[in-house]
Amino acid sequence: MTAVIQAVINGIMMGAMYGLTALGLTLIFGVMKVVNFAHGSLLMVGMFAAYWLIKLTGIHPYLSLLVVPPLLFFFGYYMQNLLIKPVFRAEQQVREPLTVIIVTTGVWYVLDNLALMLFGAEYRTVKTSITGTSFSMGDFIVSIPKLSGFVVSVATAVGLWLFMVKTRTGKALQATSLDREAANLMGIDQYRIYNLAFGIGTAIAGIAGCVIMPFYYVYPSVGVVFDIRAFIIVVLGGLGSIHGAMLGGVIIGLIESVFSQFMPSTWTEAIIYAVFLVILFVKPSGFFGKKQDW
Amino acid sequence: MSYASIGKRLLGLAAIGLLTAGLSGPAFAQKTIKIGNVEPLSGPSASVGVQGKQAREMAVEEINKNGGIKSLGGAKLELVYADSKSDPTVGVTETERLINTEKVQLMTGCWNSAVTYPATQVAERYGVPFVVPVAVRDTITERGFKYVFRIAAKDSWWVRDQFRFLKDMQDETGVKLKTMALVFENGDWGTGFAEKWRALAKKDGYELVLDEPYPSTASDLTPVVTKLKAANPDIVMLVSNAADAILITNTMAEMKVKPKVTVASGGGHADPKFLENAGKNALYLFDEVEWNTDVNKPGAKETNAAFKAKYGYDLTGESVDAYVAMYVIADALERAASTDPEKVRAALAATKLSTGPAMICSYDSIEFDESGQNKNAGIVIVQVADVNGQLDRVTVWPKNARRAGYTPVFPANK
Repeated sequence: MTAVIQAVINGIMMGAMYGLTALGLTLIFGVMKVVNFAHGSLLMVGMFAAYWLIKLTGIHPYLSLLVVPPLLFFFGYYMQNLLIKPVFRAEQQVREPLTVIIVTTGVWYVLDNLALMLFGAEYRTVKTSITGTSFSMGDFIVSIPKLSGFVVSVATAVGLWLFMVKTRTGKALQATSLDREAANLMGIDQYRIYNLAFGIGTAIAGIAGCVIMPFYYVYPSVGVVFDIRAFIIVVLGGLGSIHGAMLGGVIIGLIESVFSQFMPSTWTEAIIYAVFLVILFVKPSGFFGKKQDW
Repeated sequence: MSYASIGKRLLGLAAIGLLTAGLSGPAFAQKTIKIGNVEPLSGPSASVGVQGKQAREMAVEEINKNGGIKSLGGAKLELVYADSKSDPTVGVTETERLINTEKVQLMTGCWNSAVTYPATQVAERYGVPFVVPVAVRDTITERGFKYVFRIAAKDSWWVRDQFRFLKDMQDETGVKLKTMALVFENGDWGTGFAEKWRALAKKDGYELVLDEPYPSTASDLTPVVTKLKAANPDIVMLVSNAADAILITNTMAEMKVKPKVTVASGGGHADPKFLENAGKNALYLFDEVEWNTDVNKPGAKETNAAFKAKYGYDLTGESVDAYVAMYVIADALERAASTDPEKVRAALAATKLSTGPAMICSYDSIEFDESGQNKNAGIVIVQVADVNGQLDRVTVWPKNARRAGYTPVFPANK
């Protein structure tokens, strides 16, 4: 029983971070109706940015949260503005611009191979003051880097949600997500909104990179590890839904952690996909997705 | 300048490049012998793949500098690389490509047993000799193949020696260990080890309290470690690829899991990056390797120093196997005096290499048995220890190879 409760604690903490990796993806999809295949690579860029920052300056790992996400915001903002926007313009009349998906896949390959060229294939970890630290609560052990990651993840999700419902820009994002032509007619600059959505989505990948780095390692194709999960989470929670992504993340984290107490951990992957299939059959739009999203 | 004209210019450049390449190839260059090399150069096992690549590079540079293959008019060796990404399917496609398109005369690789197993099958079908430095799954040389030769000890020997080590150490220290947990990556390598562990554990009377495969690319190994904590074994047996070795060691420290003895099986644990990243968390871990920097063989120190100066880290057992494999190939080509696959195969089969730079390995001669397995491949067990404030891998078993003055910490945790 102790092991199961321990697994639940760990599953929720990891799950929130899985949710965080999916948050940027779901935001970009919600607003632009584009599946961003480069999302994992952007996470990798975030992790490398955090890695070098901590490694070279020796600052506390969570101070990197002040630097990396803003950097990645501009990275994403201009990536959308320079690479994706032209394609988008060419495909203006199409509901789901497929070519953009191909562009993001291209970005994925370019970023991964660029990292491979610059940093080599080896995996790197940072030794920080909190790496490997934990505290005990009775019989249970809580890892400090993971708990911090959990807190940051929840805070990011809440922050993003507040931004979406309370601010003018957030409402513009929502309006574009609902109907981009109508939003355009109301005087919202569609492409500026896309830049913003992409920038924020990438910044969130940067936040995820900062909180994962203290307990995981980074290498050029590390994005793939989190990417596939992020896609499942996004669909599970409902495309474009913030709380859906967080809930989806926690569910995946719990399955992974708790089920592996009763069976070989290699099986949990299969169970995640089985649950995913069942959800697709029963509720294809995910937990919080609207029936007709666009 | 318009895009079209840039395009034309580039096309022109490419054409010139092709022309010169075509001209210089057969006309001016000395004869080269192409050796195809499939390794995990990206993905989770990339760092060990790159180490194997660099060890091969150094050996080939030395061989070429010393006049190449003399019986073939000083022909140079040329390595042609392909990235398997640790994926068997990619490994097979790349082996096909190297043989058919690159026209390689020999093959070597692939580190992962799961990749080597089907890749050697491709080479066998085409009749291309395949020298496997590491990839230890037994069955790689147990299919009656004619063209497959392996330098490293096979996994049944590795497992046998892990259990001998455990028994010897218990006899030596008087400590009795009863329960055992098996934790291994779910590829060919890990499952192959686990199968043999189970049989030997039964024979030696250990009680198995956990038998846990895990995926090497897991984003979190806490669930596995939680299980390990609940099972509370005396001995933990590990098989890990590169990155997961670090993750599992660090997570065990974080979750305060302290088995009396932890025995790893090389691979990820033998990677120099492992100690760098796991640090003190790895203290007193036992690891099984074919070679260690403190091995007492002529030339070993110098070769390691040359390697370290070139690439910035120590040789490992696996990179020594890769290094040695190049000398085995050169030796066979020298005796075959031909690149005809049949003759090269015959020469490889007749290998009896006991001199030269390849002898930095821990044993005295390289000979293949009928299955293509190196008969003499040997194994040592090292312990991660703090030597003068520096983490070091110290040879502890067999007892006659133990570093002078070192007393193994056994058990590591009371």
